[in-house]
Amino acid sequence: MSAGKCPVNSTIYRLKDMIEMNRLVDPYCRRIAEEILELIDDIAWGRAGEDHIPTIDSLSRELSEKGADDSCKETGEFVQTALQENMEVFVSHVKTHNCNTGECILLAPAPCQTACPAGIDVPSYVTLIGMGRDAEAIDVIRRDNPFPWVCGLVCTRPCEFMCVRARIDTPISIKFLKAFAAEKAMSDGQYRNPEKEPDKDKKVAVIGAGPAGMSAAYYLALKGYTVKIFEALPVAGGMMMVGIPRYRLPREVIDREAAMLEDLGVEFVFNTRFGKDITIEQLKEEGFEAFLFAIGAHKPYKLNIPGENDYPQVIDSIDILRNVALGERHSPGKKVVVIGGGNVAIDAARTCTRLGCEEVTIAYRRTHSEMPADEEEVEQAEEEGIKMSFLTVPVEIVGQDGKVTGLHCLRAEMITKAGSDRKFPVPVENSDFTIDADAVISAIGQQVDSEGFDTLTGLTWTRRNTIDVNRACMETSIQGVFAAGDAVLGPATIVEAIGGGKKAAQAIDRYLSGIPQPKLPPVPVRRGRLDFMEVPASTKMSLKRPEMPLLNFNRRRVTFQQVELGYSENAVREEARRCLRCDVCRRCGACVDVCRDRMEINALKLGYLDFDHPVQTDFRETADRCIACGACAENCPNGAMIIEDVGDERVLSICGTILNRLKLEYCEVCGTALGPAKYHDYITRRLKGIAKTTEGRSICVECARKMAAHQHNEEIIPIR
Amino acid sequence: MFRRGDKVEIFKKSEDEGWQDYMDEFVGFHGIVTDPDSNINDPDALIEVSLVDKGTHRIPQDCLRKLEE
Repeated sequence: MSAGKCPVNSTIYRLKDMIEMNRLVDPYCRRIAEEILELIDDIAWGRAGEDHIPTIDSLSRELSEKGADDSCKETGEFVQTALQENMEVFVSHVKTHNCNTGECILLAPAPCQTACPAGIDVPSYVTLIGMGRDAEAIDVIRRDNPFPWVCGLVCTRPCEFMCVRARIDTPISIKFLKAFAAEKAMSDGQYRNPEKEPDKDKKVAVIGAGPAGMSAAYYLALKGYTVKIFEALPVAGGMMMVGIPRYRLPREVIDREAAMLEDLGVEFVFNTRFGKDITIEQLKEEGFEAFLFAIGAHKPYKLNIPGENDYPQVIDSIDILRNVALGERHSPGKKVVVIGGGNVAIDAARTCTRLGCEEVTIAYRRTHSEMPADEEEVEQAEEEGIKMSFLTVPVEIVGQDGKVTGLHCLRAEMITKAGSDRKFPVPVENSDFTIDADAVISAIGQQVDSEGFDTLTGLTWTRRNTIDVNRACMETSIQGVFAAGDAVLGPATIVEAIGGGKKAAQAIDRYLSGIPQPKLPPVPVRRGRLDFMEVPASTKMSLKRPEMPLLNFNRRRVTFQQVELGYSENAVREEARRCLRCDVCRRCGACVDVCRDRMEINALKLGYLDFDHPVQTDFRETADRCIACGACAENCPNGAMIIEDVGDERVLSICGTILNRLKLEYCEVCGTALGPAKYHDYITRRLKGIAKTTEGRSICVECARKMAAHQHNEEIIPIR
Repeated sequence: MFRRGDKVEIFKKSEDEGWQDYMDEFVGFHGIVTDPDSNINDPDALIEVSLVDKGTHRIPQDCLRKLEE
């Protein structure tokens, strides 16, 4: 767990210590201190209401000001200081039911939720999907991310990298579950906006209708602000619309989710570029009081090689992707070379194939294993017939009569330079060759286009040519001006842009409400604690992450139809059952420790508990040795491990995964349920030679006592 | 060069301007690279790292080192 210290938890420990060490001798002071302790305990366990903090404040003030002796005053002052210095954290515990250090265990978010830049409560929505409650799952997601459908198709899924299930076999297919639920909810007419807060009569201008800008607009609209988005392009979506090809993200998906913003009253103004068509002064005159710049990173880097500016057939990947997204369907040429090895290069190459180019080659200066593009994307590109030319350094674009005829290149070799552990591609002398081409597409990255921002005096930029912000609140160097998305991070991911937009919306709300900005970025908020789904251990282990069905190969090469066809409903429900519910099991290992060290049974093979050194996990093996004593459940601090009698069985489960079922034995005298036979054997074995037992008879404590009394001095040790 | 899925440790504070004050408490934490610079393998780029219990952040590469599997 976290090495960070939670001030709420630390205050509890210190105060408890003061009380238990009898430092508070005055009975009245002691009672007040106990009341304070109880109230802080409520905060740590998510039970606190709005009155808790003011009450703690007033009680501790009473102690410090009117305490009978020094110890009372010292205690009151200690609580006062803890509260004042950490007010934000205390309030966050009460309001968000969240403890990001993980020390207040009931309130700690799961690793997948913590990993999500938008902070979505993944375990809750995966559980809801497993239960078939797709629309509710979408409601949960949209509390932190207004684009569940988009992210279900194209998110880079950091959540899956942190998924604890991956320590056992493969991560939960979180992304595709989300896509399924969004599509189902939309199809069922259940995809809905939450209630808006009352109108605040304040206007916010958002520049850029990409994921960051639209996310901010969504949350600001929900807060009751009047929001207008100004967009340079003729459509909403930003890079989602013009940077990601339709075979990965259909336009309808973006349109439908953007339309949800319009339903909330967000107004879009298209074909309007900041610095050219509008200025901040004009917007201020129109009554806008806060501004968010979410302009993306749409300006391509130049190749800086001869011939780049000499031929119209030398195109930038951003341009071709944008033009195709906006309806262009003309092929750039028959033989196309795409320069670059990232996701944009792959997208451009696969787009060219779909436009009818006969031969598409990706020229990359490093090796296959060093390609920064996603492996799945590279694999799909190769399946579609795209050629790869590795260790290829472009040196000149050559042509004749104003038309490109080829890309002149040098072979490279990877060399480690002195003082560096990185390998660099170094051109090999006299290794010239030419790739025949009638079009060359550059895909070597993009940056923020700062043109038009010179009018925004006082705005500072980083050396990476991004807008400089305090990333805890996305505030720029100008008061009331915020920025988010690629404009701040450089080319990054959609989900980061969404998270940044949400963070900016919270900060804008604070700014317009006169509340100081936080020093730390907001922590994810848990949206509930759902019931477990019961799954037998064997099923939990044998369920496999489903393969994604793909569009047939021929259709992929000639159309822009969605390549990933989506999971079947059955596959989705089954996949959700693989979730380990890390929102409840905190992986503290208390169950394993007590079973192995105290009970000396060692039945729990839960190797996934450790991040750095996971070892083998097998839920099925528990049943081999477990005696259903319940020590693990008794020591579980968060209700993950449960032991209960169901019918004639004693059942042990962890977050719904049934680890063991043992038949109960009953008192042969009164019929009361006793433990299972394995448990009796264990107790008998442990007591052998120490005390007299019931000698094989099944008798409850009550009956054993009665028999003992009846037999006068004869000692009978009950089984339980 | 960091790849997606690499386990890493933040072993020091970075001097880079991309390092934010609140990141000081990340030193010593482990995590996974979730989105390296996916265009040009730029060692100067901020890369996305998901840290255990600390969330996902864009961090300068000079403060990161790979953990051996």
